[in-house]
Amino acid sequence: MASKKLRRAGVSQELCELLNRHHVESCKDLLSLTPLEVMRVAGLSYQNALALMRSVSQHCAPPVTTLLELWKPKSESFFSTSLPALDDFLRGGLPLGTITELAGPSGCGKTQMCVMLSVLATLPRALGGLDAGVVYIDTESAFSAERLVEMAQARFPEHFSSRERVLQMASRVHVFRELTCQDVLNRLDRLEVDIISTKAGLVILDSVASVVRKEFDTTLPGNLASRSNLLTQEASTLKYLAHQFNIPVVLTNQITTYLGNGGGGVPGEGDSGYVIAALGNTWSHTVNTRLIVQYVDARQRQIVIAKSPVAPYAVLNYTIQKEGICLDGDNQEPIGEARDPGLQPIRVRTEFKYSLSQAVGTDGGS
Amino acid sequence: MKPVSASPLSPSVKVKLLNAGFLTSEELLQLKPLQLSKEGGLSLEEALEVQQILREGVDLPGEGGAGLGSTALELLQQEERSIVTFCSSLDAALGGGVPVGKTTELCGTPGMGKTQLCLQLCIDVQIPECFGGLGGEAVFVDTEGSLVVQRVADMAQAAVQHCCLQDQDAEQRDALKDFTTESLLGHLYLMRCHDYVELLAQVQLLPDFLVKNPKVRLLVIDSLAFPFRRHFEDLSVRTRLLSGLAQQLIRMASQHRVAVVWTNQMTSQLRGGQWELVPALGESWGHSATQRLLLHWSGGRRLASVFKSPSQSESSVAYSVTREGFRDAGPLASSPSGREQDSSSQSESKQDSSSQSGSKRPRTQEGQ
Repeated sequence: MASKKLRRAGVSQELCELLNRHHVESCKDLLSLTPLEVMRVAGLSYQNALALMRSVSQHCAPPVTTLLELWKPKSESFFSTSLPALDDFLRGGLPLGTITELAGPSGCGKTQMCVMLSVLATLPRALGGLDAGVVYIDTESAFSAERLVEMAQARFPEHFSSRERVLQMASRVHVFRELTCQDVLNRLDRLEVDIISTKAGLVILDSVASVVRKEFDTTLPGNLASRSNLLTQEASTLKYLAHQFNIPVVLTNQITTYLGNGGGGVPGEGDSGYVIAALGNTWSHTVNTRLIVQYVDARQRQIVIAKSPVAPYAVLNYTIQKEGICLDGDNQEPIGEARDPGLQPIRVRTEFKYSLSQAVGTDGGS
Repeated sequence: MKPVSASPLSPSVKVKLLNAGFLTSEELLQLKPLQLSKEGGLSLEEALEVQQILREGVDLPGEGGAGLGSTALELLQQEERSIVTFCSSLDAALGGGVPVGKTTELCGTPGMGKTQLCLQLCIDVQIPECFGGLGGEAVFVDTEGSLVVQRVADMAQAAVQHCCLQDQDAEQRDALKDFTTESLLGHLYLMRCHDYVELLAQVQLLPDFLVKNPKVRLLVIDSLAFPFRRHFEDLSVRTRLLSGLAQQLIRMASQHRVAVVWTNQMTSQLRGGQWELVPALGESWGHSATQRLLLHWSGGRRLASVFKSPSQSESSVAYSVTREGFRDAGPLASSPSGREQDSSSQSESKQDSSSQSGSKRPRTQEGQ
């Protein structure tokens, strides 16, 4: 919209040429000028300059609707996660058209959750799915097709009883492996085409933090700003696509240590730091929903709803089984209290206990 | 007495007139079009246009419609109402609520409830006048995508129920017939802008929209910061665009009698060797809003602090966000650490007394 050429915004040919001579070529260039500058550049009177800006604005501005027109039934505004307690808090599931982030330490279940959501997205609507394809952008090479199939068969045994249904489901999940920041950006630029061609109803980016943290060393001057710019750019593209196609976007994030008054990376003096979601304060503003996964002990984990436009602060216990994420029946009292989702402390795994009897099975793993 | 060089004509025409020796606009109006075109070296159409523009007395910003000004007495009598927030302590701190005709900024870290407060105001502005509201409509400009319609529907339903419990006379019962969840959603206009150019375009078109929909009493922009926190090659361009935007919003607020509310984000700044969270968009942006509210955590509770206001003193109040929407803080349960906490009113008065000693602003007796 912003880079729309003035010619296509209803501006006459001669006026366009006049403006081009002053390097005003797109709607963005024209609207960034003040009315006096437009007068000078276009050679118009004040009234006509204002009228020109107004008519160009009309070509750029989004349409106006009322909320009543946008009010749809739950099945069309939320993506159910098939975890009833979580769906209940989120008033239906992950809201369509928004960005949901899963942050947490390694091995806690973020990729498991992404794989589970991929299965759910391909299910028919009668079973609570979106009946659509999935675009899965994998930056850590953590996606396992065998796990996808195993989870599908364990979670919905009657539906996936035939091999053909399983293969059909697997063919709807499109995995793209991108390993550098530039690759991720290129993929996002092309994402519109991919969404249309794969008829996607869900976009997963696992994870947004890994490539960025590999390539930007934030202790170097200037890198923090360029990292922020890159992330904001990625987020804008994803939000735009989420809104236009009315699909949910799920991202995963890593963790970092917060040392009291020294923000990320600056060592404090014997401050007992704690663990928070990575990528900083600007990023926590950008995501619409933030779900934090953390450890209680070696087997038990928790999902914390840290930021949501519809849900209050809540904590749910879960474990990872063959069929993916399973919520425990009773919810315990929240450990700790609600705070700034950018500074929410996350419990990490502090010990590793292995015993031979537990060696077989899908305990843990991310 | 107006000089030609300062008139709103196109530059090429101005140059021709100045070269022909015309100095004031009175001289131009005294001639007939034929004569003007001969003496000024203009075409007939240009000469006609010049006289039309000068005769109409274009409404330039700076001269504006407020040519005569008004006395303070007239302003007092004008009695602009405020929009309640359903959190009584916050309404008290703001002197009645969010003022109509002025601009208010909400800053805060993510998840504080800025969007929730904006949505609550969008609903509260529609409360019928017999219940103490303004009976108006609202415009919501969304740049972040955090607006979930189901949430607004829940809040609307709670507001309707709240009013239903309070109806006392026939007039109120009549008004309730039109006050339903559907009507609340139907009078809330939504514009979703994806980048700053769409936002600038939308703000250009808003005055016309407000004229076509005179019942609009509230304009919310959530958030103003997000589209401007991307990379600008030249930061001075961003500052210029932001101050232009602020000007337009302030003018809209007073000319069309709407309350303008926008939300700002927080950014980390290195101050004295320590990282602090401050409102985003720069120091100069702080001057744009008439009133500023900061939503923050303190001791496990959500507090709203008024930290810039021309008529209210600085104070902090506790609030909460419930399923029904933005409300007063509930009664305090004892915190896990066993610490006793003062009730919200006591902490408010403590804040007031400590801030009053440092604050130069007098306390008002009542709201505007």
